[in-house]
Amino acid sequence: MTDAAPEPKQPGPRQRRPRTRTAPAERGDVTFIRVPLPPASAFNKNRPPGCLIQAQLKHIHHAESARLPKEKRDGRRPEDIKTESEAAEYIAKITKLLHPTRAKRRKPPLSN
Amino acid sequence: MPPGLDALKHIVVLMMENRSFDHMLGSLKAVNPQIDGVDGTQWNPDTQGNQVFVQPLAEFQSQLDPDPDHAFPAVDQQIFNGDQSNPRVASMKGFVQNYFQQQQDLAHSQKIMYYFTQQQLPVLTSLATNFAVFNRWFASIPGPTLCNRAFAHYGTSFGQVGMNVFYPQGKSIYERLQDAGHTAKLYYFDQQSSSLEVVNLLQHQPALFATYDQFLADCKSGTLSDYSFIEPNYSDHDNDDGEQLASDQHPDHNVQAGELFIASVYNAIQANATLWASTALLVVYDEHGGIFDHIAPPACTPDGYSAGPADTQLSYTFNFDRLGVRVPAVLISPWIPKGTVVGTDRVFEHASIPNTVTNHFIGPYPAATPREQAAQTFLDLLSLDTMRTDSVVFNT
Repeated sequence: MTDAAPEPKQPGPRQRRPRTRTAPAERGDVTFIRVPLPPASAFNKNRPPGCLIQAQLKHIHHAESARLPKEKRDGRRPEDIKTESEAAEYIAKITKLLHPTRAKRRKPPLSN
Repeated sequence: MPPGLDALKHIVVLMMENRSFDHMLGSLKAVNPQIDGVDGTQWNPDTQGNQVFVQPLAEFQSQLDPDPDHAFPAVDQQIFNGDQSNPRVASMKGFVQNYFQQQQDLAHSQKIMYYFTQQQLPVLTSLATNFAVFNRWFASIPGPTLCNRAFAHYGTSFGQVGMNVFYPQGKSIYERLQDAGHTAKLYYFDQQSSSLEVVNLLQHQPALFATYDQFLADCKSGTLSDYSFIEPNYSDHDNDDGEQLASDQHPDHNVQAGELFIASVYNAIQANATLWASTALLVVYDEHGGIFDHIAPPACTPDGYSAGPADTQLSYTFNFDRLGVRVPAVLISPWIPKGTVVGTDRVFEHASIPNTVTNHFIGPYPAATPREQAAQTFLDLLSLDTMRTDSVVFNT
């Protein structure tokens, strides 16, 4: 069996960890600076969309209307969307149509 | 050509959201008096005529809620404080009174004067003090996000002063580069956050786009485009990787999450030695978000457009002849002398971005607006004869 066990989910602050390595050894003086994580309470996907997201929704809706036939449209209007989470879901749906990206490669299931 | 410019193969721009220079970097005046920040003497009157002084009491979240108004009429009040004389005086004295209008709460309105300490923002302030910080980088328009971001993409907003859908009448910097045989990418965070350039570019030229994961991969593999523009995460949401915290720093999103994102972009470039030696990274904010700054925006070269009262929601026509409020801007490269402070005699704005990128990769571009052609370029700051070997690394 060569597959590694899946990493346990980290509790606490919800922030994507930067996937970068630290300074190469051949460099000169390196100053390491610790960056604090935001608290877990900072995450609030039920926050009402602010003015920027509201504008983005209007632009996405504009593009949806221009690009998709009526029967394939989501049907929601920007003013129907009440939270950042709902906005993200709608924005992702239309963005996938405008800019399909490759699906993420899934880890193979663990063998016995 | 200076060796740093000769080595320069990549320009990366990270544009954050809605914070003023004084709010984010004003505290650095205490570290270096050349940095034109705050010293506690700057003030605004509140609605009862009291002087409200700047204070280092900014918080990462929940303090600027509701989101301070930064539409065109609100910014006009923040800058001119209702002055209708001719010519008007840009006193920068209307921030508190403007914020008061949103909640009619005197104490709350005073929070628009708060700024962060250096210790609260270790990423942005470290980059500012280790590389080059601009004393005079202004938003392009005294207005909101989308028209200001348009200046970074097109060198003009085509007469827009708001957030409406618009259609460009000129080529974006990405199209210019492609036409000239160069490469360019706009990286948005993920599909849930997407891009703010939906109508003009994402819809019609999706090949220009990639997600932030791809940016990290491109840095690691050394396949970054000549020019990259990065958009932060605009919302709290779930994706396949779990919960994603907004990193744009737009009020009321968490400022620390934005610090982590800036660190992530920087670390990705810095970790690849070849890329680090050949890249300039600009971290800049699109506009001030209604938050106090003490420097009056200067006049600028008009771009040939005008916005009438129906658009400005004021009694006058705006001829795009004055910049918006000052914003934080930091240029990062190992070819920049440590602790560079770009003087008050050099004025930059977002049209400086396409002008700089065009000049470096293509050369003269007569089709650019007069405004863009007049905008200062910034690559002369890569002035060292020998690349620095010291560096900063953020542990996140």
